[in-house]
Amino acid sequence: MALDPFTVATDSLSEAGGSVSELARPFLRFLPVSGASVSTFGTLLGAETVSATDALAGRVDELQFDLGEGPCWDALATRRPILEPDFAARPNIGWPAFTEALRSERIGSLFAFPLLFGPLEIGAVDLYSVSPVSLTTKQQDQTTALSAIVSRLLLSRAIQQVDAGESETPFSRRLIHQATGMVIAQAEVSADDAYLLIQARAFAESRPMQEVARDLVDRRFRFSTEPTALGETP
Amino acid sequence: MNPATRTEQLFDAFVTLADTLVAGYDVLDLMQSLVDICHTLLDVDSAGILLANAEGGLEVVASTSEANTLVEVMQLDANAGPCLECFRTREIVSVPDIDVDSDRWSEFAATASAQDIHSVYAIPLRLRETTIGTLNLMRAERGELNHHDVRAAQALADVATIGILQERAIRGAVTVRDQLQDALSSRIIIEQAKGVVAETANLSMDDAFSLIRQHARSNQTTLKEVARQLVAGDLRF
Repeated sequence: MALDPFTVATDSLSEAGGSVSELARPFLRFLPVSGASVSTFGTLLGAETVSATDALAGRVDELQFDLGEGPCWDALATRRPILEPDFAARPNIGWPAFTEALRSERIGSLFAFPLLFGPLEIGAVDLYSVSPVSLTTKQQDQTTALSAIVSRLLLSRAIQQVDAGESETPFSRRLIHQATGMVIAQAEVSADDAYLLIQARAFAESRPMQEVARDLVDRRFRFSTEPTALGETP
Repeated sequence: MNPATRTEQLFDAFVTLADTLVAGYDVLDLMQSLVDICHTLLDVDSAGILLANAEGGLEVVASTSEANTLVEVMQLDANAGPCLECFRTREIVSVPDIDVDSDRWSEFAATASAQDIHSVYAIPLRLRETTIGTLNLMRAERGELNHHDVRAAQALADVATIGILQERAIRGAVTVRDQLQDALSSRIIIEQAKGVVAETANLSMDDAFSLIRQHARSNQTTLKEVARQLVAGDLRF
């Protein structure tokens, strides 16, 4: 039996392990698009194209960073996919400079999906197709699901790059585990994701993880259930 | 307490420990029973057990209150306090007044005092040449613990230590160290489960733990199993 292309895509992502330069390619395995790029930007991580399947995909990303407009910005700002199946014929009037810059390129359709982890902004996935195409609801859901995996990988990588250097004691670990339990119930996520949420919060606020854990245990703040649940597979 | 009642209670305590030692028990449940027995039977206000972890440090594995304040006191004790001294010397360390000579372990002494703990007894959990941890008894009152209680505590600690050894034989754990690490690791999921219950039932960490224990008891299962179900979302209080 032939494997479902989406399963192949998710599998290849898991196999990518630490290599972020391969994060864009899996999207081409199940979507009718010509190229894909993955970039980080927003409130948490520095603006950077981390993976692009071809030069044009990379250029679509770079142009948006340079011009400060385009589908990836809108996707992250609205936390929703931006779909432009008819980009060539009816360009989005919200991006005049971006559209102008791509006039000479052969781009029929453009799509951008936000990269989010709970309340955190990670970046976006940009997809383009030479000939105009539409994405089915199922394809959109799968892209969102794959984007969630990519978000988790990018966030983990960013956190790992920062030197932990925290003086952890058995007592502070206890607090972190208790806080993890509270976040499991608050955000309805797995223990691993709850831990990552606390870690990311600490990272975003440049504070030790145990301080964030203490705030959670003392109920000074909480993670609410976000409309975009973590890693939900449709 | 009259002698007859006391003898009966001690007898019951050993029966309880023995019951905990039958097949299917868990080191953590055994430790929890031990601190509870000490609390009920001895003239102490709180009790806790610290086990040696893989890094050679001591970690709280069970305590009569799961309030973070008590755990913090014991953990400070493990860094520099009577229980560390007990672990190192493998002898009972009695501190009838922690405010006397408190410079030896100032941080522990100050935090303990603030929690109304004024005397401490640390009893080694000894296993032939190895000391696997300590049993810590804490009192608000100053002064020596009566010698009957000291003897009873040592006997209870010995039975529990033998129990741990026996479990190693059953599970085929490679070393005592692995086995202790396993008990300490199960603390992770228990802390997470406390957090889940604290959040869903809006309880303190201590009350959340009580609820988890109650559930484990009435369903005749281990703390670890209940914790696992809570963390996986298969069980909610």
